Amino acid sequence: MISSRARLFLALGALALAAVPASGDRFWMQFLGKAMIGGIFAMSLDLLVGFAGLVSLAHAAFFGLGAYLLAGLSNRYQLAQMALTLPICMAGAAAGALIIGWLSLRAAGVYFIMVTLAFTQMLYYFLNDAPWFGGSDGLYVALRPLSNPIAAYYAIWIALVAVFAFLLLLLRSPFGRVLIGIRGNEQRMRSLGFPTRQYLLAAFVLAGSLAGLAGYLDANLYGFVNPALFGWRESGLVLMTVLLGGKGTLHGPALGALLLALLQQQGERLTEHWTAIIGAVVIAVVLFLPRGVAGLLEARRA
Amino acid sequence: MPEALLETRDLSRRFGALAAVDGVSLSFAEGRVHAVIGPNGAGKSTFLNLLSGELRATSGRVFFRGQELTRATPDRISRLGIARSYQSANVFAELSCGECVWLASHSRARTLVFPSARVAERARRALATCGLAERAGVRARQLSYGEQRQLEIGMILATDPQIFLLDEPLAGLGHDEAQRIVALLQELARRHTIVLVEHDMDAVFSIADTITVLVDGRVLESGAPDFIRQSERVREAYLGSDAP
Ligand SMILES: Nc1ncnc2c1ncn2[C@@H]1O[C@H](COP(=O)(O)OP(=O)(O)O)[C@@H](O)[C@H]1O
Ligand SMILES: [Mg+2]
Repeated sequence: MISSRARLFLALGALALAAVPASGDRFWMQFLGKAMIGGIFAMSLDLLVGFAGLVSLAHAAFFGLGAYLLAGLSNRYQLAQMALTLPICMAGAAAGALIIGWLSLRAAGVYFIMVTLAFTQMLYYFLNDAPWFGGSDGLYVALRPLSNPIAAYYAIWIALVAVFAFLLLLLRSPFGRVLIGIRGNEQRMRSLGFPTRQYLLAAFVLAGSLAGLAGYLDANLYGFVNPALFGWRESGLVLMTVLLGGKGTLHGPALGALLLALLQQQGERLTEHWTAIIGAVVIAVVLFLPRGVAGLLEARRA
Repeated sequence: MPEALLETRDLSRRFGALAAVDGVSLSFAEGRVHAVIGPNGAGKSTFLNLLSGELRATSGRVFFRGQELTRATPDRISRLGIARSYQSANVFAELSCGECVWLASHSRARTLVFPSARVAERARRALATCGLAERAGVRARQLSYGEQRQLEIGMILATDPQIFLLDEPLAGLGHDEAQRIVALLQELARRHTIVLVEHDMDAVFSIADTITVLVDGRVLESGAPDFIRQSERVREAYLGSDAP
């Protein structure tokens, strides 16, 4: 579990993030808002990669579904109230995850990864060619649920803290311990009587709905969605965030998202080949910090 | 004859041209220890895999309390009360002993979110019975091999099964470790039905009520220990002259 040192660091970090709007700096609010959304997205994937042992490349699809559903509801039906749109968008992402997960979980190991990738690509090409959804140009979110930037920022902050707390409790609950057992030895769990596919599907749907929440917040923050949200690049990036931060730690992927956002922002100012910088950092972390950035916060082993 | 708890009818499993299990009809009586012995490659593990649902039968059927299980999945078979251990220790290496038995016990719980006191109590008792109460906090992979085998029995005990399918529980153990497991099996045998696949003939003849000899996937002989001991065919095919 999380060391007391890491806990203190996380609590201070969360407080610092909560104080940012007081500075009134629009750029940092937008930047950190985006980074926190990345944190929610990465933590939701960590539930699968780090705890259930499922490497999914479909995760961007659920982020994209949450975002597109908000754009669609707002554009076509002039719906914006958060109390209405947020549950619909998360449920939509969950429904997508139920279908894709149900089909993908019939395959195991590397085939599972391939099938999830194939589904993401299908959705990408579908949205690219569907004029009703704006085609390759994407859609504007005509009416935003939270158009005030300070309100949008705090909504993201609250979502980040709530998702972290929710996942932490979930993972300590019997359900989470069963997932950890499946990651360790799925065959043994099945022969102990656990319907392991159903547990994995439940985790997949839960993670998908939280990714949908991240997508929803993203569409609200930027007021714009396009098919690139569904690309395999986005799925790969969030997977990289999880590994960079330290899979199976929950707070690690959230820190990883912040770090990646900073790298990207600094990198872009230095060179147009900023992805190469990110690549180098990821390689360095994988080679020298096998437990990711989160590993830095843990006490060194004696 | 006591009632048959578990029964196979003409059960077969082929791997390509090889008939690993070939027309086996056996009946396992409630409350008894029924050993299945035979040389390496006789099909003993394959037979257990057919009973536990980890392999599909090529033909034939399996019944548990009269209910057909031939195509049931391993998790359903387990939930019906048929527990399985493996030829090499199959525990959760990264979890503590306490967590391993807790997971096994939790497989019988209906709760997903809230921990149940009954589950914890059943896990605690199973760990005590298998002799690892003091090792609850130790990671499974840090246990000795003998302790891992004990833990494995503790885990299936925690699922509160009606019948144990044990695949060579003594394999790879030294004398003292083996003695501990034999004592544990004798304890279990007082209240449970056991199908015991084992190579250690001293142990088999001291625990089993019935013995079946499997050779090349077929039943060579089946009967009480004395009968098996005296069978010419069994001596020739398997036991040799050093039978106990
Ligand atoms: N998955 C498999 N694929 C192919 N052949 C197998 C498989 N499992 C077992 N066999 C073969 O079936 C025969 C019986 O094996 P097994 O049931 O493990 O024997 P035992 O447990 O009695 O030593 C052996 O010849 C073995 O090589
Ligand atoms: Mg065997």
